[in-house]
Amino acid sequence: MENSIKIVLLCCNYTNLIEGEDVREILGRLEIWRFPCSGQIEITDMLRAFRMGADGVLVAGCTRGACHNGRGSERAERRVLGARKILEEIGIPMDSLEFVYVNRLDGGDFVSKAKAFYGKILGQKLEERRR
Amino acid sequence: MIIAERRPLSEILENIKPYKRILVLGCRGCVAVCSAGGDREVAILAEAIRLARSRNGDEVEVLERTFIRQCDPEYLVPLKALKKEVEAVLSLACGVGVNLIADLYPDVRVYPGVDTTFYGANVALGEWVEKCRGCGDCIIDRTAGLCPIARCAKNLLNGPCGGSQGGRCEVRKDMPCIWHEIIERLKRRGELEKLLEIWSPKDWRLAGGEGLRVRVREDLKA
Repeated sequence: MENSIKIVLLCCNYTNLIEGEDVREILGRLEIWRFPCSGQIEITDMLRAFRMGADGVLVAGCTRGACHNGRGSERAERRVLGARKILEEIGIPMDSLEFVYVNRLDGGDFVSKAKAFYGKILGQKLEERRR
Repeated sequence: MIIAERRPLSEILENIKPYKRILVLGCRGCVAVCSAGGDREVAILAEAIRLARSRNGDEVEVLERTFIRQCDPEYLVPLKALKKEVEAVLSLACGVGVNLIADLYPDVRVYPGVDTTFYGANVALGEWVEKCRGCGDCIIDRTAGLCPIARCAKNLLNGPCGGSQGGRCEVRKDMPCIWHEIIERLKRRGELEKLLEIWSPKDWRLAGGEGLRVRVREDLKA
């Protein structure tokens, strides 16, 4: 049963090969935006995901040392910090945007981190509703 | 270079509140180099504005442009056409650019998107430090190239204050005492006696004490 929570995963094309089916346990709407490298994920992409209705945005990069382009995932991690500052100024909870390192080509690691993030956003939404 | 920093988003949003179509205008000069107002910052701020306004159900159309410079009239010429497309311009140039737009295009509602802070150097990735205050009467020929006007918290001209401890500034412990550094450097060069010279009083009128500062080179004028 799908709920109205929308999660956008921004990741490098090579970080994982997961498809919607792999994350079917996530009951919200899930979108995966793939980039040639996580180092190419810009702050504008993260903000755009929120503007397009995301309740939570998870940026995933290959573990340190595994990025094909050297330090792409480290760049993505820093950009997440920049985007979180902007979210805070706008009044969106900073932890609605998160960065995770995931094992390259290990779908299981990515799926478990995506599920944990979904759980966190779900909790956040339920808390908002209770208030 | 001139260092600037994006203004708080709440202030920017308040300034552009009445408008439905705005231009975020970057500058590829100093503010691009210090990552405050170049192409990338234009894109980020434009997206942040769209997001903030859409959350309030108050959509806004944001155009994005970056000029080579905003402190020269010739580079502002495209604004003649652009101004017809928007209700307001949010400039990410330093205060010089914003002022020049206001001077040359009085019908344009121009707002600053950054606070212009100081003249500084890029000492490390993501870190800029003030090195010059533009006082107009340079004395660094006598101080081994290190400026006590900009780099001493008390702007002292006659050596370190009593609070300097172990080469650190008493006002900012994370900063070196620049007078300590000047003396150490002159000592190493065998030029410490330079500091025994009596300096003529510094001409503070050149620091802006007589109002607007203007530089004219007759040989370059049309």
